[in-house]
Amino acid sequence: MSLLVTPTIRSEQLSNGLQVCLVERRQAPVVATALCYRAGTLDEPPGQEGVAHFLEHMMFRGSSEFGEGEIDRLTQALGGSNNADTSHDCTTYYFSFAKDRWTTALEIEADRMAGLLLEPAVVEAERAIILEEVKMHQDDPWDALEEQVMAALYGHHAYGRPVLGTVDSLKYVDRVALAEFQSRCYRPENAVLAIAGDVGLEAFEEVERFFAEASGGERPRSRSLGKMGPSSAQRVERHQGEVARLLCAVRAPALGDPEYPAMRLMAAILGTGRASRLNRSLVEEARSCAFVSVEMTETLVAGALLIAAEVIPGWRPPKVERMLLNELERVADGFFEEDELARAKSLLIADWVFGHEQAQEMALTIATAGALMDPELPARHLEKIQSCSLLEVREAAAHYLGAASPKVVGWSLPPNSRR
Amino acid sequence: MPSSSIRVRSLCDSKVVSVQVRLAGGSRTEQVPGQASITGRMLAEGSQRRDWRQIAEQAEDLGMSITAFGGLETIGVAIEALAQDWERAVEWAAELVLEPSFPQDRFEWLVQQNSAELCSLGDQPDVRTGWEFLHQLYHPHPRSRPVLGTLEGLASLDKGACTRFWRESLSSCRIVTICGGFEDEDRVRARVESLFGHPSPGGSEQLVAAPRGDGRAHRKVSIPGADQAHLYAGHLTIPRTDPDLPAMQVLSVILDSGSVLSGRLPRRLREREGLAYVASASAAAGAGLDPGRFVVYLGTAVENLERAESYVREEIDLLISHGVTEREVEEAKSYLIGREPFRRETARQWAELLAESELYGEPVDRPEWCTNRWRQVSREGVEAAARGHLRPAEIKVTVGVPS
Repeated sequence: MSLLVTPTIRSEQLSNGLQVCLVERRQAPVVATALCYRAGTLDEPPGQEGVAHFLEHMMFRGSSEFGEGEIDRLTQALGGSNNADTSHDCTTYYFSFAKDRWTTALEIEADRMAGLLLEPAVVEAERAIILEEVKMHQDDPWDALEEQVMAALYGHHAYGRPVLGTVDSLKYVDRVALAEFQSRCYRPENAVLAIAGDVGLEAFEEVERFFAEASGGERPRSRSLGKMGPSSAQRVERHQGEVARLLCAVRAPALGDPEYPAMRLMAAILGTGRASRLNRSLVEEARSCAFVSVEMTETLVAGALLIAAEVIPGWRPPKVERMLLNELERVADGFFEEDELARAKSLLIADWVFGHEQAQEMALTIATAGALMDPELPARHLEKIQSCSLLEVREAAAHYLGAASPKVVGWSLPPNSRR
Repeated sequence: MPSSSIRVRSLCDSKVVSVQVRLAGGSRTEQVPGQASITGRMLAEGSQRRDWRQIAEQAEDLGMSITAFGGLETIGVAIEALAQDWERAVEWAAELVLEPSFPQDRFEWLVQQNSAELCSLGDQPDVRTGWEFLHQLYHPHPRSRPVLGTLEGLASLDKGACTRFWRESLSSCRIVTICGGFEDEDRVRARVESLFGHPSPGGSEQLVAAPRGDGRAHRKVSIPGADQAHLYAGHLTIPRTDPDLPAMQVLSVILDSGSVLSGRLPRRLREREGLAYVASASAAAGAGLDPGRFVVYLGTAVENLERAESYVREEIDLLISHGVTEREVEEAKSYLIGREPFRRETARQWAELLAESELYGEPVDRPEWCTNRWRQVSREGVEAAARGHLRPAEIKVTVGVPS
């Protein structure tokens, strides 16, 4: 399979430090932007958990040139779309427009980077909305289980905290806290802007036009990461819903770790496609689970491999758990073959191609990779994925899935049932 | 009912190929709840040449993604592959759709899987409330239940019923679309025709029970252990073929359904009153061969439910009595026109558009046809559609309440 699947990225840096990446794609007359700030849950001061995500909401609610509701109104009127996402490591804002009007995204981003309003009444209204979001999250059995499992996996480390914050912590996030967080983190030198679509090198001039005035200056990233846990296996059990849900988490390499591509392949061997290990054994053959999914997080400091499964009614959860852990042991001991590795490689490469046909997806990938590590990282990962040997994947499996590696096994069970 | 057809489109520079084969007859025409869903999914469970495992392994060896589906209006197979594998993707699609083997043990497993999936979806408070709302509006039409079926329906289903359903669907109408990074459209078309046969006239329209609703104006669903309440309000409106559809689509954007939060209802319920994180609305949600619905949804605190419902009613009354502004109409039209290129970015989107175009007999694959329809919508047209199709006195409400 050819590696012509990765994009050519042109990159420039403004004098104020803003890094700008451009990927030309002429398939459709559209342009997408993604502006990623290195500002996430990791950067929150103690006692203000949720401030990064709260600020993400406030970024849509008024800046010097765009009053309350104007960003959305203008986006819609121009046939565009916008949204944002906060993670533990970063916060990304994204727009897509037809190619003849895409610079509106730059105008909005530059204005709210420098002149966010944070009106007190609007802050209070937004707090009520976020509290509803927290409730919605808690009512979803998977979201609620994942929150507890991640807390157990990372202990007191910031990765163990919920991105949304909690009902308690959100009380202490006020206008001052939001303004302080923004002035500390939302700076050009702390951000990567990616542009993908039907646009050429003139994009750099447009960025210069809107962002050249933004004040830069190095400021150290201050973080309170906390102590990483656990050192031994842990269990989480909660009761919600009518279906038994299992979420098993193990520590995995961070995005920049040399073992990341090998472990990514391991995750695909385990759970990508119907012929993958866990889908074959737990779903298609034993018929103990309705589905199994395996995901690797893409994080800066310490990654996680998450295995999720929903148990078919009538199956006893301890039996399903044993079956899963047995399979993990087998792959940790190196019991997987060249044909499985080759299939995992094909699936990951094709998945990249399918997942990046849209300009928006491309912009998001490049901006996030650029903010966390390097915009060329996805391309390097794909190259490494293609050349990874069976031995390298076996070593990664032994390292991260072996008996010595701490695991968190979380269950969400129907009320009145015990594991 | 449209004729069977083949549509091929080359997309320069695309590295992907998307093949879709749709057979007319989804859950809207099934006799037993779940029959269409299981029949569609069975298409990837074994053919006359391969069992499920060989299908999965050989496809995944090439990085191919195969989805066999049974939806509301069609059943079929969708394949995504790298462009160089277009011929194999077409051959596989033909094999799965034309030569399924319907193995009994895989049928039993899919019934179990669908049942488990229904239980799982039922654990999501908004989904569970939404199912009751659909029942309230569409009963006894099949749209009144989940496309996956019901636990009772699935338990009573047998493999023979699925085999029959497949045979009937196959003889009724088949639409094959293939889009992506190949150069020679004629060669691709010839290959598709050699596998699927030449396009031919379709079968007759299947009769479907008319939606009437279950007669109740208010329904309450208990959601054990939940924190948040959920509200759905609305009534049936128009099918896709109604000439007022473009005006109703513009109205939907004015109410909400753009991709941002600038519609009247989210602005009122979320931004102004702070009642919800998710608040959405549409004037003709799900309009297809059967009528769509006017619907407002929000998740809110239980103590805010009454207030939220009264705001929804106020906004609809206001819309009907005072109409809409010229600016709202122009911005909504501009939004719909501006989003057109985004419906045509990927091979899969193109394959879906071509299939849609055949299924509904509308050239939605031609961007100018879509944009012209919206350009012709006037403020008066939107207001007439609102007055004609939104009926405050007929609004039905389902609430999901924590218990």
